[in-house]
Amino acid sequence: MDELAVEVEGVVKRFGALRALDGVDLRVRRGEVYGLLGPNGSGKTTLIRCLVGLVRPDAGSVTVLGRRMPDLGVLGRVGYMTQAPALYPDLSVAENLRFFATISGARPSIDEALRFVDLEERRDSVVATLSGGMRTRASLACALVHRPELLLLDEPTVGVDPQLRAQLWDRFRAMTADGTSIIVSSHVMDEAERCDRLGLIRLGHLLAEGTAAELRQRAGSDQLEDAFLKLAAEEPGA
Amino acid sequence: MNAHRVLAITRRLLAQFRRDRRTLALLFVAPLLMLTLFYFLLRGGGGQAAMGVVNLDQGPLGAAVADQLLHSAAVDAAKMDAATAESRMRDGTLAGYVVLPASLTASAAQGSLRPEIHLEGTQPGPSAAIVQATGQAVIGGIGTLAGAAGVRPPQFAPAVTYLYGGPDLDTLDYFGGAFVGLVVFFLVFVITCVSFLRERSQGTLERVMASPLRRPEIVVGYMLAFTILALVQALEVLIFSLAVLHIHNAGSVLLIFGIEALLALVAVNLGIFLSTFARTEFQAVQFIPIVVVPQVLLSGVVVPVSAEPGWLQVISNVLPLTYAVNALRDVMLRGADLTWSSVQLDMAVVLAFGLAAVIAAAATLRRQVA
Repeated sequence: MDELAVEVEGVVKRFGALRALDGVDLRVRRGEVYGLLGPNGSGKTTLIRCLVGLVRPDAGSVTVLGRRMPDLGVLGRVGYMTQAPALYPDLSVAENLRFFATISGARPSIDEALRFVDLEERRDSVVATLSGGMRTRASLACALVHRPELLLLDEPTVGVDPQLRAQLWDRFRAMTADGTSIIVSSHVMDEAERCDRLGLIRLGHLLAEGTAAELRQRAGSDQLEDAFLKLAAEEPGA
Repeated sequence: MNAHRVLAITRRLLAQFRRDRRTLALLFVAPLLMLTLFYFLLRGGGGQAAMGVVNLDQGPLGAAVADQLLHSAAVDAAKMDAATAESRMRDGTLAGYVVLPASLTASAAQGSLRPEIHLEGTQPGPSAAIVQATGQAVIGGIGTLAGAAGVRPPQFAPAVTYLYGGPDLDTLDYFGGAFVGLVVFFLVFVITCVSFLRERSQGTLERVMASPLRRPEIVVGYMLAFTILALVQALEVLIFSLAVLHIHNAGSVLLIFGIEALLALVAVNLGIFLSTFARTEFQAVQFIPIVVVPQVLLSGVVVPVSAEPGWLQVISNVLPLTYAVNALRDVMLRGADLTWSSVQLDMAVVLAFGLAAVIAAAATLRRQVA
């Protein structure tokens, strides 16, 4: 089995004059939690969209779970949580989960997904009646209801309270122990600390890569946030 | 194509509609409301043109003509003097009045009849009714006078035969078939177009596109759900039109339903296809004046296609609704069945439009968000 979950090589994506991704190389191992860190507009979402074929790169190649993208078949093994919760507001939580599992070609594990996000009690609630944080959790449940091998999370814990956020991270950890790979974009530094490896992305460039400790050491800083700012300042285009 | 995935989309859409009461009302209550309004507008019975009759003639002809007008079913006539008639026409309560001059009987004897008709003039319908009723009253008046004088007047009694329809066929019967098609087409098109757009604007399309679903599976899933809704709506419209409004039908109810089903297929796929050219629901609604209104005007619903200028007929002949309306009228008014080549052609053309719309919808749906 290929030990890489994701391999991105020299990916370039332009939107008009803007180079949203400017030659990105990225390798994520199976069973790894990889954090994409960067400010708004740095290219995190575009990179994640490239991984699921929603954005077609102008140059470079993307390989997901051993399959060169675009490849529809592999998408059934990938879970994708969009930045804004993508749910059908007039369906119940369980109906949303069942739908996303079925289109992914999987037998739905609705109860398990609901337990994961602590939303079992709202199983039959119509999504329109949920709070913002609950919608975020329901959206996360939809991304993992088909037990994907690769989970792509675009700022997954926005609006989730700190206690549940810690709990979710523990559960992400448990998933990776089963071999699931997770790529998570964030600009929350305490989340970044929980990732196995981090990629700092800015203006479509991957500035630096490594564990949180390695990045702090490289920048000579105690704080990851400071390290990120220093590394960004070293970048020639900065 | 994976049936599980297609049916997942269909089931999801139907579940969404079950909870969306407003859309359900638009689909199932609005058509009844529209048809009922058509019914009262076209068959309501009220509103003959109000006219005044000013008889200045002392002779028998003036009285006879006035009497005919007062008993006419085509106008609502009342006797009055010239000043009252003029002022009531000016204040809008009369559509016109006729003055039977003092010399009417005398001049009739010399072969000249010159009643004066004064019309308010802005409404062609009532104006024409007054002119026509006056003409008939004069003919009728002369007839009664001739009879009274012992002269046997000529009787005008043509023997009329009808190839289709009959003496009881009215305007609603003529428009009915077209309305049945139009209502289904219009509502199904709008709801499909807006629902598909909502999928885009609420971000779920991005999630759906990041799954193994193929584009034709999405289109077929949508098509199935909306076709089911459209067929239920078509059935409701049909039952209401025939059983409640008693719109004339000389043909097979099943065939009418078949034509409606084909039209729904076109409407659903045209809705999906065009929704890919809009970014918001607001933009989707803007397709109504571009797509729906020209079809309503040019498909023979209001004015027969054969009465249009030649260059407009060219446009009418490439609109799916033209063929559906034609087929519906053939069946409902003329009792046509599937052995008629015109019905076969019309239905084949509508089906071809439907299939072209399916292909266009699947082809224009993009996986990429950017």
